[in-house]
Amino acid sequence: MSYKITTNHGVGFDCAEGDTLLRAALRAGIHFPYECNSGGCGSCKIEVMSGSVTNLWDGAPGLSTRDVLKGRQLACQCVPTTDCDIKVRLKSADSQEIAPVRSIARLYKIERITDDMAKFCFKTEADAKFKAGQFALLDLPGIEGSRGYSMSNLANDAHEWHFIIKNIPNGKASTLLFDHASVGDKVILDGPYGLAYLKPNITRDIVCVAGGSGLSPEMAILKAAVEETGLDHRKIYLFYGGRTPDDICTPDLLSADNDLFERIISFNAVSDADIAKKELWTGDVGFVHELLEKKLANTLTEHEFYICGPPPMTDALTRMLAMEYKVPLEQIHYDRFY
Amino acid sequence: MSDLIILCATGDVKEETPISVSPENFPMLAVYEYDGEYFVTDNLCTHGMAVLTDGYQDGSDIECPFHGGAFCIKTGEATAAPCVTPIKTYPVSLVNGNICIPAAAS
Repeated sequence: MSYKITTNHGVGFDCAEGDTLLRAALRAGIHFPYECNSGGCGSCKIEVMSGSVTNLWDGAPGLSTRDVLKGRQLACQCVPTTDCDIKVRLKSADSQEIAPVRSIARLYKIERITDDMAKFCFKTEADAKFKAGQFALLDLPGIEGSRGYSMSNLANDAHEWHFIIKNIPNGKASTLLFDHASVGDKVILDGPYGLAYLKPNITRDIVCVAGGSGLSPEMAILKAAVEETGLDHRKIYLFYGGRTPDDICTPDLLSADNDLFERIISFNAVSDADIAKKELWTGDVGFVHELLEKKLANTLTEHEFYICGPPPMTDALTRMLAMEYKVPLEQIHYDRFY
Repeated sequence: MSDLIILCATGDVKEETPISVSPENFPMLAVYEYDGEYFVTDNLCTHGMAVLTDGYQDGSDIECPFHGGAFCIKTGEATAAPCVTPIKTYPVSLVNGNICIPAAAS
């Protein structure tokens, strides 16, 4: 069973029963505007002109009171219950996107990275086709709603999807993964999604900036950039920020991969000055955007930026780049999850 | 009188379809038509990193595409939460069908 959806541009697509308008549009190769696909950012606003939909998340933060008054909805939270006519502002198609596919995924390996981060490795029935830096939405058993996690590996023929995930205190999904999941468990994996992937044809020096589990997509971008012959003569940086010295896992991760180890210029900062002092940390102390400014201030506009991390980090960093240093927004790539 | 720079032609901008321009030595700017008049503001939201011309013009307000915050395009005043800090506005002159602002950002 599926429903016929028609946009104000006369573009039509099918939406399978239970699928959201946004996911169905992307599966059909239609360039809907979106970033988080999780109700948070508000990029995928639409109006339903006729027909009816079920809203998965009343009060989703991506929709303001003003939006609600104007009858706007989030395409990522709307599941049609009839054929629908909708109003949407489609994006220009600047690149070929990979159509997302839903598949059953089996957990086959868990690797601890730090006290509160681990890599969870899944195998799907569907092909593991995605661009470096993209994410997938996971439906975990017993957890309401989907969670977005970015792949840390590259597209492959072995159907493998790797995710570096942080254990968030009281986070339902991460608690399930860290405390209860075991090899052999099955989840629903839907992807790929996201627009903050490596643009291999842009041959500027590359700066990846990550905090926490934002490292996952940046590891994929670093690997893809190192393999890209067009980027052979480019510098590739990784700036990683953590709260304590124990969070700084990047030296180990990079040295485990010889290509990355030889090529990536890596800088780390620890933000909690007291713990840094207590644990005799000799590296940089402060926020990762401050470290970036310290290292590359004079040449920031000459770089291509790929960013993933907690909202305060992303916000401070993008503001600094765009407002203080006038880095063109086209050179700053990140998916807004808030 | 200070020098002016041309941002675009009046015909380039229509009500409810503001455009983004990036003149040299200025931040990204948004150009609007409202009720037959033209207005220019900064194009980056003061709340988060967002391009206002990706949002919605609603009468004399421009709404940020992300969190529903809004600014008055005439005065720059923040008119809806979460925006609090006003957005910079620029005095507009029309010269031979072109929308212009002073060359030196004051």
